[in-house]
Amino acid sequence: MAGKIKEMIDALVSQRAQGNSVLEGVVKIKLILKGIDPKNYSPDSPDDPAIIAKLEELMREFK
Amino acid sequence: MNIRTAYSVKTDIQEAVQDIQTQLSDFEPRLIIFFASSSIAPDEIADRMEAAFPRAETFGCSTAGEIVTGKMLTDSLVAMAFNRQAIKNSKVEVLDDLNRESHRAFNAFERHFDKPMSKMDPKQYLGIILIDGLCGKEERIMDRIGDFTNVNFIGGSAGDDLKFQSTHVYANGKSYTNAAVLAILEPNTEFTFIKTQSFSPLQKKLLVTKADETKREILEFDQKPAALAYAEALGTSIEDAPKHFMHNPVGIVYEGEPFVRSPQRIKGNSIKFYCGVKEGIELTLLESTDIIASTKEALDRVRAELGDISGIINFNCILRTLELREKGLTESYGALFSDFPTVGFSTYGEQFIGHINQTATMLVFR
Repeated sequence: MAGKIKEMIDALVSQRAQGNSVLEGVVKIKLILKGIDPKNYSPDSPDDPAIIAKLEELMREFK
Repeated sequence: MNIRTAYSVKTDIQEAVQDIQTQLSDFEPRLIIFFASSSIAPDEIADRMEAAFPRAETFGCSTAGEIVTGKMLTDSLVAMAFNRQAIKNSKVEVLDDLNRESHRAFNAFERHFDKPMSKMDPKQYLGIILIDGLCGKEERIMDRIGDFTNVNFIGGSAGDDLKFQSTHVYANGKSYTNAAVLAILEPNTEFTFIKTQSFSPLQKKLLVTKADETKREILEFDQKPAALAYAEALGTSIEDAPKHFMHNPVGIVYEGEPFVRSPQRIKGNSIKFYCGVKEGIELTLLESTDIIASTKEALDRVRAELGDISGIINFNCILRTLELREKGLTESYGALFSDFPTVGFSTYGEQFIGHINQTATMLVFR
């Protein structure tokens, strides 16, 4: 399977930034500092379970 | 004025605190942030500042040099006081053991402000972090804060005048090591942030292919020993590479904006940094520019944006301060802040969004 990481990153950015472009940038920088660079993931990127688990946790925590 | 600054170069702690108290005698602060030279006894300064201002929350840290309106200082005590017109609401908390994860501070913020951290509006609230500058845990703490909230935390790692023995953070009468002080403020005025690092990105990229993040070491760039790859990128030898560390650090560059990672020393074939980096991250080689010019440009931009500036807290990297000292530019740097009530200190690391190096992060109030 492929593309789930990009989908999750997009969902996380959207969840946290709520359409605010400045916040979108901040969320992306936070992801890069965690070692998840959004520009490295496309709809064809393989579904790495470790990255998926990390993103799931991030979405869960920001409630 | 709703934000006031004071400083003292008196060597006796009691006299220095009294000096600050006298300068603020016609002012009723609700919150005071202070920065004290490492020559000032930590427990005593925390205790005396709290006792001197019993109606205010007091917090601060030890430094590697202080900054106050128009001046860079050493062996001094500097303070910024906010009254109730400046700050509507605030809460200071301590993470008193950085070896374990604790939600206690976040829970306290949520109770105090009566809303979840995730729902706090970053335009309404701001966070300040002061952290033990020798703990080596700034990345993790900033990472976890960022997981829970969109509120921007800005701050610095406490210093000890380059002795590298013990750095301290202070909150409400107590001094702590291996700790961080977190404050959330709800100002009554507009605020913004400056992150200025006086570096421009070069074309050369280095991909981190092997790293030990907890030790802040990069073992390999582009599958080559890190020291060799860095030297090759600069067209120099491994032996001469450390001479370039100050002027050619590396950075994570996002939309042209570098988040600097400064090399500290070569360790075998690896490079030890002042900041951790994850594997898989692309770093860009940077080149130093003029600290005075770029800081002035950043201040001018913010003054144009806000119209007026009522206070600045400046967290300025000690490596920048050392460069300013080496070039005889500390007076020129201080003078950039002559028109604004300012306090700050020379830090062992800077925080904004994450943990960064060779940067000045500033909190600016309109």
